[in-house]
Amino acid sequence: MTQVVLPPSSPTLMTPPIVSVRDLGMVFPVPGGQTVALQDANLQIMPGEFISLIGPSGCGKTTLLRLMADLITPTSGELTVNGGTPRSARENRAYGYVFQAPALMEWRNVLSNVRLPLEVMNAPRDGRDSRAREMLKLVGLEKFERSYPWQLSGGMQQRVSIARALAFDPAILLMDEPFGALDEITRENLNLELLRLWRETGKTVVFVTHSISEAVFLSTRVVVMTARPGKIEGIVNIDLPQPRSDDSREDPRFFEYATQIRELLRKGHS
Amino acid sequence: MTTAPTPRPARRASNVLPMLAVALVAVLIYWPLMLWANAGQAARSLASGADLGCGTALQCATQLRNPVIPAPGQFASGFQSLSVPPLAATSAPYNALVTGGETLLGLALASLLGLILATLLVRSRSFERATLPWLVASQTVPIVALAPMLAVLLGQFGVQGFFPKAVIAAYIAFFPVAIGMVQGLRSPDPLQLDLMRTYRASPAQTFGLLQIPASLPYLFTSLKVAATAALVGSIVAEISTISFSGLGKMLAENSRASDTVALWVIMIYGAALGIVLVALIGLLERLVTRWRPSA
Amino acid sequence: MATQRVTVPLAAPRPLSGWPLLLLSGLGLLGLSFALARLAAPPTSPALWLLGVLLLLLLGIFGIRQSAQGETLAARTVPAAATLILFVLAVEALLRTYGVPTGLIPTPSKVMQSLWAARSVLLQDAYYTFILEALLGFVIGAALGLLLALFAVRFRFLERGLLPYAALLSSVPIVALAPVVIKAVGLGWPSKTIIVAITVLFPVVINTVRGLQSAQRMHLDLMHSYAASPTQVFREVRWPSALPFVFTALRVSSTLALINAIVAEFFGTEGHGLGFRIQIEVGRFGLDIVWAAIVVASVIGISFYLLIAAAQRRLLPGR
Repeated sequence: MTQVVLPPSSPTLMTPPIVSVRDLGMVFPVPGGQTVALQDANLQIMPGEFISLIGPSGCGKTTLLRLMADLITPTSGELTVNGGTPRSARENRAYGYVFQAPALMEWRNVLSNVRLPLEVMNAPRDGRDSRAREMLKLVGLEKFERSYPWQLSGGMQQRVSIARALAFDPAILLMDEPFGALDEITRENLNLELLRLWRETGKTVVFVTHSISEAVFLSTRVVVMTARPGKIEGIVNIDLPQPRSDDSREDPRFFEYATQIRELLRKGHS
Repeated sequence: MTTAPTPRPARRASNVLPMLAVALVAVLIYWPLMLWANAGQAARSLASGADLGCGTALQCATQLRNPVIPAPGQFASGFQSLSVPPLAATSAPYNALVTGGETLLGLALASLLGLILATLLVRSRSFERATLPWLVASQTVPIVALAPMLAVLLGQFGVQGFFPKAVIAAYIAFFPVAIGMVQGLRSPDPLQLDLMRTYRASPAQTFGLLQIPASLPYLFTSLKVAATAALVGSIVAEISTISFSGLGKMLAENSRASDTVALWVIMIYGAALGIVLVALIGLLERLVTRWRPSA
Repeated sequence: MATQRVTVPLAAPRPLSGWPLLLLSGLGLLGLSFALARLAAPPTSPALWLLGVLLLLLLGIFGIRQSAQGETLAARTVPAAATLILFVLAVEALLRTYGVPTGLIPTPSKVMQSLWAARSVLLQDAYYTFILEALLGFVIGAALGLLLALFAVRFRFLERGLLPYAALLSSVPIVALAPVVIKAVGLGWPSKTIIVAITVLFPVVINTVRGLQSAQRMHLDLMHSYAASPTQVFREVRWPSALPFVFTALRVSSTLALINAIVAEFFGTEGHGLGFRIQIEVGRFGLDIVWAAIVVASVIGISFYLLIAAAQRRLLPGR
């Protein structure tokens, strides 16, 4: 198993990376031994980038995301976020996390779901609702603020959870297969919407997916990962023009990138 | 790009007509059943030479002093004598209110204690391992058998009147409530717990904003199950102590006096009380958990 | 696709064993109880003894905490067993320390003595309460409930007319029912059997109907595409999907049956049964016999429940 690391877009000396991953490893104990979930990962993410992590299940992409979010602690290597530890970044509330499922609280209506992080963080009381409404407008759900989660479709629920992640203005948006459970049409619509949000807010996005076309369409760079042990097989720069639209999918380079990623995935699989 | 919200579930076909039909059948069965059940006793009374003021066993079946199943007229007069005026110390509605109040107070106490115990169980694994098997086992133990004894014990320590019955009701309702609350406190999605972690929520915030609201439906489900048991507890407690009010006291008195018509009337009041209590909890549930779809 | 699962024995630090602590605490409490039992009168300075009991209990709690670590079988069973034993021993020691009259709260040892002394009476009571009343009533109620549920599902009209009443009636307290049934049927055991049967009936009907309707639409459509007869659909799809629901009802009812038999006995018997025993002994402050009867009832209740649960595991493995 050889490791081919394509050169990442060389970080300029002026701006330090927002996330820096060096020789990162994660080992989980299992009955009678341990499983290597992530091995020797190296990655620099610059502010404002849109990074996708792609790979088969068990390749450690979710593990890497959870490491960045300080939901788990690495067993080896070094990981800094904003120049500090993931823990200090979490404690400074630097992350908006969007999960595979919307994970909305069913006893709260749409508005108060988006308001939840502001309540937890003791944001000034009088600004909470206006901020939450602003975020709902950003995802196009301002008319549904009084609805309860069960009254919304899956795609709408996931948009609420994105609004919730943006509510406290985190520096980084961590998204773990957020559109995995949605149908193709809804997914493509939400992809376009996510790109618009990314342009408007200028956030750094780390996006986990198992769809090659989704990764190519959204990202500035795609990190290709392979399983057993989970590691980074290569990194592909996506030089499609911004802002992207449905036309980007017709660009011949779109297919080149997709093929390149597919070959990296195959290589890791053999 | 807006997708339509999922429609509310369609209302199911009405049950009113079939329910009325079943009620009609019950009424039709009642008359011959009543005659048959009472005729034997009437025949024995006639044979022993009692003057019932009627000719045959069948004619007497509706006029016995202590019928097995009361006739409609007896029901009517029984209801009237036990219900008018409704708030007199000897009337059933007043006593049902007393018993209902004891049970509700007991259920409130049980919820409070259940919440505390459930919190401990969820927080500490060694506490859970040490006590949970006994809590589960205690659900299969006839706890109500302790009620008479508990009533005597509480009486020894000078606790009397309304309160000991509520304590016994709470004692019976407490275990199912605690078990339900443990399930409820554990019900949040792991993703929701992760979410609170990314917000750097304090344990108290996670508890108050996530675990408590998530456990409310479980609390009400177990309260509904516990309500009937708690009601049985308060009535048994009323029977086993010196009581001056409550359905249990009425049952004990009329049981001694062998007034079967009164027993039937009290049974119907007790049944209604049980149904009303469960309905009240259901109503409270709808008020508190307004977010849920009304199926 | 090489599965790289490195097997390295994790050198976890062995936690301090709870065993010596538990043993020390248990033997200490036992010793205290014996010492107290040898005294002619309750000790003059109970505070000292109380301190001893509390210290030993604290030791035991720490031992329980230690032995609850890990995922071994012992870690899952020892804490519960130790809790019961230490609790009983501590109650014994405390009751003796303060010389609480056994007429008020009997010590556990006194209860055990009474249980042994009154074993033939209690066994006979248990025979009436459990075999004749609870078990027979349970079997009759469950059989009738199953039958009624089958009818209800077969005739939709019956289901819609009957089921709402069943749900309503299941929240009726049996104590309201008991006096009337006993007056009508008589003081003998059959009246209690009938009461138990009535209380078992409703949960069984409700759950069985719910279970028979829980068959998956897809499975039913599949059988329809095979042109299966109604009997086949019932045997292959409806009944198997109803079974877990039926067993849930049976488990719940098994505990209800015994509890209700005891409560029903409070309202009149011919002088037999655990409920009768409890009521009569409470009246004459024979609380040791009351506790002994409760112990007997608990053992029967738990065994009955476990029996039904075992039957479910046997018939429905993996559910």
